[in-house]
Amino acid sequence: MKLSYQWIAEAVDLPEGVDEVARRLTAAGLAVENQEEVGEDVALDVDITTNRPDCMNHLGMAREAAVLFGRELRRPQAQSEAGGAPTAEVATVSIEDPEQCRRYVAWAVRGVTIGPSPQWIVDRLELLGLRSVNNVVDITNYVLWECGQPLHAFDLAKLRGADEQGPAEIVVREARDGETLTTLDGEARELKAGMLIIADASGPIGLAGVMGGADSEVTDSTVDVLLESAYFDPRPVRRTASALGMHTDASHRFERGADPELCAWAAQRAAALLVEVAGGEISESPVDAYPAPFEERAIELSQRRLEAFAGARFEREQVEAWFRGLGFGIERTSSNERNDPADSDEQGARWTVTVPSWRYLDMERVEDLYEEVIRLYGYDAIEATLPALSGHDGNTSAVYRRGMAARRHLAACGLAETVHFAFQDAAVDGRYPGVFQQGQPGAGPAVELVNPLSDLYRVMRRSLVPGLLGASLYNQRRGASAVKIFEIGHVFLALEENSSLTGVPVDERETLAVARGGVIGNDWQGEKELDFFDLKGVVESLFSTFAVTLQVRPAAVAREELVSGVAADLVVVEEAGEEQVVGYLGQILDAEDLPFPLFVAELETAALVPEGDRFSGLRVTPPSRFPGVGADLTLTHSLDVPFAEILAVVHGLKLEDLADVQLVSRYQGKGVPEGAVNTTLRFHYSSAEGSLTQDAVNARQSAVQQELSRRFAWSEGAG
Amino acid sequence: MADAAPTESLEELAHRFRQEAEAVSDRAQYDALRVAWVGKKQGVLRSLMGRMKEVPPSERRDYGQAVNRLKTEVEKGLQALAARLEDADRQQALKGASVDVTLPGRQPDLGTLHPLTRVVAEMEEIFAELGYSVAEGPEVESDFHNFEALNFPPDHPARDTQDTFFVKGSSHQDGRQDLVLRTHTSPVQIRTMLSRRPPIRVICPGRVYRNDNDLRHSPMFHQIECLAIDEGITVGDLKGTLEAFIQRLFSPDTGVRLRPSYFPFTEPSAEVDITCPFCGGTGITPGTNDPCPVCSGTGWMEILGAGMVDPRVLLACDIDPDRYSGFAFGLGIDRVAMIRYGVPNIRMLFDSDLRLLRQIQG
Repeated sequence: MKLSYQWIAEAVDLPEGVDEVARRLTAAGLAVENQEEVGEDVALDVDITTNRPDCMNHLGMAREAAVLFGRELRRPQAQSEAGGAPTAEVATVSIEDPEQCRRYVAWAVRGVTIGPSPQWIVDRLELLGLRSVNNVVDITNYVLWECGQPLHAFDLAKLRGADEQGPAEIVVREARDGETLTTLDGEARELKAGMLIIADASGPIGLAGVMGGADSEVTDSTVDVLLESAYFDPRPVRRTASALGMHTDASHRFERGADPELCAWAAQRAAALLVEVAGGEISESPVDAYPAPFEERAIELSQRRLEAFAGARFEREQVEAWFRGLGFGIERTSSNERNDPADSDEQGARWTVTVPSWRYLDMERVEDLYEEVIRLYGYDAIEATLPALSGHDGNTSAVYRRGMAARRHLAACGLAETVHFAFQDAAVDGRYPGVFQQGQPGAGPAVELVNPLSDLYRVMRRSLVPGLLGASLYNQRRGASAVKIFEIGHVFLALEENSSLTGVPVDERETLAVARGGVIGNDWQGEKELDFFDLKGVVESLFSTFAVTLQVRPAAVAREELVSGVAADLVVVEEAGEEQVVGYLGQILDAEDLPFPLFVAELETAALVPEGDRFSGLRVTPPSRFPGVGADLTLTHSLDVPFAEILAVVHGLKLEDLADVQLVSRYQGKGVPEGAVNTTLRFHYSSAEGSLTQDAVNARQSAVQQELSRRFAWSEGAG
Repeated sequence: MADAAPTESLEELAHRFRQEAEAVSDRAQYDALRVAWVGKKQGVLRSLMGRMKEVPPSERRDYGQAVNRLKTEVEKGLQALAARLEDADRQQALKGASVDVTLPGRQPDLGTLHPLTRVVAEMEEIFAELGYSVAEGPEVESDFHNFEALNFPPDHPARDTQDTFFVKGSSHQDGRQDLVLRTHTSPVQIRTMLSRRPPIRVICPGRVYRNDNDLRHSPMFHQIECLAIDEGITVGDLKGTLEAFIQRLFSPDTGVRLRPSYFPFTEPSAEVDITCPFCGGTGITPGTNDPCPVCSGTGWMEILGAGMVDPRVLLACDIDPDRYSGFAFGLGIDRVAMIRYGVPNIRMLFDSDLRLLRQIQG
């Protein structure tokens, strides 16, 4: 908000100069973000927080400056010779609901000459970014920026009463459906019940606290003016303004809280300025409808508690001077002298503090008073300490820790971590259901936004995979010959009922997704084209490093986003033998113009935390003191035989001393019949009891060979 | 190295072997030595055995044993000599070997953590040492957690500053949407306070969303929240914790400045500025006379919001504000990552350009 430094300096002596004033205001919570010289003056751009509407004007800022520098605040004169007939003769005011409009002051000024404003008013408004309209309108704006009270000037001649000849009848009431009003900006507005308006006998003449109506506005031919200076409650003003999509200087202040005690003064100040600038005669008395008078609020303040909260010590007299300067009442109710300034158990002073009308909304609790003291004392002056550690505050969840560990593991596996928007195009999202099960009970559609940035960002993603596909394409188009990336993030699905975990109707889970594809390396480093098994290995290593038993099986339910023959379920087998599908793995079916196959996997991060005893999977088998014996075995069999079956047969034989079986090669080609494959396994035997002889191992190997051949051996007919 | 002279005693022969062996310096000399001493036809040992018949029968046994001892010594000597020569050969071979050490190493294929992850991990580490654990919450939040319990009443102007994304199909009776994408990580404060009793010391990192999309803003970004609730927590504790955190995160000489401000959920509240990490707080680009572009020449950078937890927030979470007090602060993680890695635009963090991500270190 722009303010004039000169205007502030009119109300308080500031020999320190603009830079120091700006620095002190900033340190006290009124951040001067920019200073710009404008002629003789300096425009201060001040960031005023929503709780300080009292500072959104020059006198309010001057009050702050006066307190900070320990000076007096000078308010301008509002008095002027008032001889005209009482306003009550020309206007009446009634307020339908005092909760929505606490006070309404109407003050008539008759016989004015409409014309341009004097240059000093024009200049000041211009510095604030306002255009001069005419002397009457400019003065209402001027007084708003001077003291913070929004004002409106009606052309009195255009206001109606029930009796054509009688006084204008002003009513503050809720609008009725179907009423309309053309506002000062020329817009015809449809009003609705619930909006707060000003009306006369003919209908709406203004939006309360937002903007006046065009029909009753002051024009060049206006002679008699009726000034409105009211206090509207923040809620109806906000409701009305936001329903109509309006925001004005007036609504900005009413929404944040105006000062009900200021209405009469501001009207009188404007009337006096009006006569000075535009001539005319001020009515000797206003109509002052004040059905809900301001009630004083008192808060007890204890020096001891204040100091315990702040972690600092304060002088009693200084605290009192600050509050008085800010317009609070402060009365010392007990003043236990402190003998030992270091003894914080001593009571110190107690006060009763009364809140000024312009801080009424902001000052409710004693903590609000603490804030005043602390901001005027300055955070700089408070000693930095660390809180004493007491007790224990609970643990970081295992899933969170696993997520961070999984990131490090995947980075060590050569993958780059990425972060993508959680927003998704609904059509894309529809093709990628991620880890959510088809027909999950209670599941709704994707979580959809009311106000998305665009259609491309309409829903919250159900899967991280489309983001990884997008990143793959992005990088491939920029010359990457391979992509190895992952993301860990949340995925979302609407639910019919509230989730018991979060209390909101969304199934929100953290998943981990990986994508790999393309050619890595070169002749010097060794070259490799990434395939399904490279990704499967990464996923397997992830589970094994966290001691979770994983099985990768052909997908039980077809996934439309994956190549049907290159799709698998990730299944976790718990200690009790219970199985749970926790994710999937496969090749993307529609990788757009990606020139290499892209393999992806997605799984729930929570699946990486083993169920039950978290140490059980960690125990090791002490290695034998004796060297083991290895033996290879090659089987020619149909391509239709899954490797898992072969392995199951081997394990089913429960071979004595068998420590490990590994796949060494898969060979198709010369010497192997069409439709068959040579699978070579390497067996490793080891005994804790003693060295094994080759003969003992050979006997076991021939048993394996025999069984595998019996079950799977290739025969032309079977192929 | 001729045959054994008849006059030489076995002791003298042994001595002669040792001398001859010591003089050997290459394979050819070794071969010659071996033939001279253990050769099948002319070797010294052979001829010594041949003299057996010249020895009187009563001395033959002793003579035979003595020759055998000499034989053993010669054979061992030859073995040692062979090993010595082999070793020398190997040394010789290594002397000639060489690689171009400037050729690139074959590095293990390492990936990278996202800059945001690195920054979060570092913050977690700092706070872990100060006794804090990590708390989490959902990104799709209720109005209650995101606003109401944080003292943003319905129709409060402070809600305007939050640029909220609303979720469909969750209308309140008054037409407001009950579900939002969380606009800050502060709702995790509420969830934490509702689920456990003080003392509480947590940090809450996570994604947040605001309907704001331009060169400087991203509709999704990341915050980390810090919350401490206990008896006797002071404004000084807030300041001290901020200093400890910021000076570890940036550098020990980083200046920290608190400016009074307003947030609905803290009272008092403060904006926290740090001395600009680029110009060291001078406001001038190092080595030039130009104003620092990062802090616009002010020397300060606004980095986080902080305050003492408002008693209304404590009450909403059923914590007695007369007994407990606490502080909270929150900051943008993206901003810290951008400062640390010199990333000029927040959107680059979400582009997943491997040419950028591959550079991330530390």
